[in-house]
Order: sequence, then structure tokens, then C-alpha cells
Amino acid sequence: MSEMVTQSVSTRSAARSYPWSHWRRQVLAIVRLELRKSFGRRAIGLYLLGLLPVALPILLLVSVQIRGARGEVADLASWYAKLFQGFNLHFAIFLGCVTVFGSLMRREVLDRTLHYYFLTPVRRELVVVAKYLTGLVVTVIVFGLSTFTTFVLTYLAQPSDQVFLLRGPGIGHLAAYLMVTALACVGYGAMFLVFSFFFRSPIVPALLLFGWEWLHPFLPPVLKQLSIIHYLQPLCPVPIPEGPLAILSDAPSPWLAIPGLLLLSALLVAISAWRARKMEISYEED
Amino acid sequence: MSDRRVIFENVSKFYGEVLGVNRVSLSIPPGITGLVGPNGSGKTTLMNLMVGLLQPSRGSIRVLGIPTDRPEELFRHVGYATQYDGYPPGFTGYQFIASYLRVHGLPADEVEKLTWKAIERVGLTEAAGRKVAGYSKGMRQRIKLAQAIAAQPSVLVLDEPLNGLDPMARAEVIALFRELADGGLHVIVSSHILHEVDLISDQVVLLNGGYVVAEGAISGVRDEMEEEHPAQVLIRCSRPSLLASRVFEQDSVVEARIHDDGKSVLVRTRDADRFFLLLNQVVLDNDLGVEAVMPTDDNVHAVYQYLIVGNGEKP
Repeated sequence: MSEMVTQSVSTRSAARSYPWSHWRRQVLAIVRLELRKSFGRRAIGLYLLGLLPVALPILLLVSVQIRGARGEVADLASWYAKLFQGFNLHFAIFLGCVTVFGSLMRREVLDRTLHYYFLTPVRRELVVVAKYLTGLVVTVIVFGLSTFTTFVLTYLAQPSDQVFLLRGPGIGHLAAYLMVTALACVGYGAMFLVFSFFFRSPIVPALLLFGWEWLHPFLPPVLKQLSIIHYLQPLCPVPIPEGPLAILSDAPSPWLAIPGLLLLSALLVAISAWRARKMEISYEED
Repeated sequence: MSDRRVIFENVSKFYGEVLGVNRVSLSIPPGITGLVGPNGSGKTTLMNLMVGLLQPSRGSIRVLGIPTDRPEELFRHVGYATQYDGYPPGFTGYQFIASYLRVHGLPADEVEKLTWKAIERVGLTEAAGRKVAGYSKGMRQRIKLAQAIAAQPSVLVLDEPLNGLDPMARAEVIALFRELADGGLHVIVSSHILHEVDLISDQVVLLNGGYVVAEGAISGVRDEMEEEHPAQVLIRCSRPSLLASRVFEQDSVVEARIHDDGKSVLVRTRDADRFFLLLNQVVLDNDLGVEAVMPTDDNVHAVYQYLIVGNGEKP
């Protein structure tokens, strides 16, 4: 018993004297646990979403090998820009974030494992932050690798393109696409995390957001500012045409887009943390 | 003093329109407290309220003086084993406990020491390296118990902790509860196995339909019911007829009946203490040979029967 009291006191005093290092230890412990759960068989759907964009450059590579030329794909930078913005951003990363962030809390509720965290002396806000960080690590790794692979494969097709990649502006483009990938995970991740606290299933809000993001070119300038893609597109190194019906508006500068997106994401994570603080777990009532 | 207790002050919990518990006021001291009641009586709701997984719709709860909406403080003192087998997938018993302690923010060496200590206390040392998913029901119960005690809390809340344990493990776990309670801990246990609650509890809380119908030491609860439900005492003696006729001299005795075996008298009295004084007197005056004196309804089972199952029926 005396040992028990000593232990209790030592933990309590540690938590009071060094809250930041104590919180850091707790967050790292949760991230470590969550990472273990995030990869493996449960993540097969996520891996597939990461692999899907890779298929198109592979087709391009095969076509070049067979025909000896790229054919209709004359401007490879534009071709990749369309692939990245149209498929990676709008589809693969978006759905990947729905899968990962939408289930961070929801899956634990369904599996009845959330109490593993909620029965420990950790601030629930830290649980949310740790889970969000884990989601970011997972999605940035999967979709970062996907973006890297699609980009490299795209420019591997012909020796002239390899020059662009290795000695031209290719590396700069790749870095910009990787940054946009990471920011997309930050923004969509925070959005789907907050959805998971307000909706029993994230599917309906995800579909609505999916439609909203696709409609972005046709939205009035004020409403454009309410979509995540609005802040991501201007960061891409090669712009793509939005079609004759698109409503033109000034794109935000990177100096506004990046902090704006980060601030919005922080706000959404803060709302999620507040919800977690108020969250109740109702096990089978007896 | 209240900082050493678990205190519910006029607590109600509703799930929408459905009643969870209603107007519960409790003050639970250290020791083993049994929560007893039929399914749906509110035992799990009460426990979830106690650990802050639920917040009361009305009233307030303090555990050792700490409000339950501050998990970061509360769980430095409270360990909870739920009914549920919810484990992070693929974890061994050791990893399950160690990860839990890491989330507490404890340093690695302390995590290892406390993990092994908890695992040893529940007798799972040999199985610690095996995956929890492959454990038997009894082993899963024990690893949950290890989780609850791992951080060495002052309050242990255990929802049906004896379910699925074989008799040997059950005896060991009950002995562990006793040891923890003797060390000054609050051990709050829900169970529907009444004789076990009777065996292990220092005090009980009887719940029915979301209401606390009785609380306190079993004998105290039973004493308070003597007016409505007279205490029953079976006396096995050499001259039961004589004893039956003499005990009727006391006005609090409402019945004295010769038992079917012809060697015992079953007495029902509204004042057991006075009755036992009279019994001593009768035995001395008449030189009666007394083989046994057995209160037959001075236990949780009887109290439960009177208060919950068949109001007014004899147990």
C-alpha cells in the first residue's frame, strides 16, 4: 500500500511539475499504439487508394514502351498536373482521409475499445491530437509515397523526360506536389475527424464535401473560400484549366493559403478535442 | 473525510427519456462494496458514472474528492475493468498492460516493473507473451483485472469481475480483492451472483429499476427491514416445543414454528437483538441443549428477495 501511495504521488507530481514532457510522453504512447493498429490488414483499402494513381503512369510507361513515343501526351507536366489534381487530390487522398480520419474515433466506439484511452489519466484533448497526428503520419506516408511514385514513373518513360526530372525543374515540382499532398492530408484529415464527432456515419458528410470540392470551379468567389481545394490548387506547380463554365476568382497566395489551411485545420482539431472532452461512452446498460 | 469516499449526491442519469439511475445518493467508504441488482437495474450505469464515462444529467459525483469530468486527475486514483473484452488487436497480455501504463505517461522502467507486478498478481505470468485474443474467458477476465490494478489505484471499479472464472481462479481473485481492500482500497464490484457478493462485500448497494433500494452493511440493511420483514432464526435444540412456547412471551416474536424435522424451531421476530437475549435466558432457565442457532435470512440473497424479487415474500 505504501508503495502504491508513493507511485501515485510520483506520477502526480511528475504531471504537475513537467506537464509538457508528461503530455509528450502520453501523446507518443498513443501515437505508437495507433500506428501499430493503423498498418496491416485493416489498411488494405488505404493501400489500394494509394496504389490507384500509380496505375496511370504505369499505363503511360507501357504505352511508351510499345509505341516508342508518348503519343497524345505531349505536355507531360500538364498531364501529371491533371492526374494529380483530378485523381490524387480529388479522389484518392480525399477518400483515403475519409477512411483514416473518419474512423479514428468511430472505429474505437464500434469496437468498444475507446475506454482503453478514456480510462487513463490522459486529457481527452491529447487523445484526439495523438490520433490526428497518427492519421497524418499514416496518410502522408501512403499518399506521399503514392505521389512520389506516380511522379517518378511519369518522367521515367523517356530519357528526355528524365532530364526534366533529374536536372530540370522536376525536383521542385515533386517537392511542391509532396507538400500539397501533406497539406491535403492535414486539411481533409481535420475535416473528417470533426465529422466523425458529429455524425454517426461519415459517409453522408463525406459525399457532400466530395460534391462541394468538385463544384469548386463553378462556385462564386466567396463560397470558393470555403473549400479545401481552393487553398491547395494554387500551391500546385502547374495550373490546370477549369473549363469554360468555371467562375474566375483570385487564387490565394501561398503565404495566405498555407497558414490559412493550417489554422483552419487547427480549429477543426480543437472542435474535435472539445467534443471528445464532452463525449460519453455508454456500454451495455445494466 | 469525504475525500476518502466515493460520493454521489442526488445523481440522476437519463438516456433521452429512458431512465438510467434516479436520485442516487451514496457515500461509499473504503472496503469491498457489492453492487447488486437484476439486469437493467442500473449497475453498469452507476459504475460508468463513477468513472466519468457518463456524466450525470443531474447531481454531482466525487471520487476521493475529484469530480468525474476530469479524467486526467481521476484515473491517477481509479482503475476500472469493464464487462467488455475490448483489446487493441494483436496485443499480447504484456503489451496490453504495458501500453496502458505508457499512456499514463510513466517512464519505461516503471512501466515494465508495474506490468509484471500486475500480471503476477492475477496469475498470468506464463501467458503474458500470448495474444489476448487467444485467451480463455477466465484469462481475459484476469488480464482486465490486471489492467485495472496495474497503475496501483486507490479505487477499483470492477464490472462483473468474477464472470467466467473457474472456482480456483475465483477464490484467488476474491482473496486478491480482500487483500486490496484490507490495504485501504475501495473495491467496488458488481455481480449478479448473490452468495459471492455476500461472501466478499463489506457493504452492498442494492439497485432496482434505476433506484438504490438499500445500502450499507448487510446486517444493517437487514436490521432496518425487521419491521416489515421479521428476521428468521432457526434453532436446533433438545426441546423445541418448550422453546416455541417460551419465545412467544416476547411481543416482537411474530411466529414460532416447529420445523418439519421435529428437532428445530423457526422463529420470526421483529427485534433479533432482544430475541437473542431471551433465547439465552430460556436456554439457561430450562437447561436446553442447543445444537445450532442459524439466522436464515441475514444475507444479501434474502434482502434481495425481500426488496427486489418478491416484495413481502419469504426467501
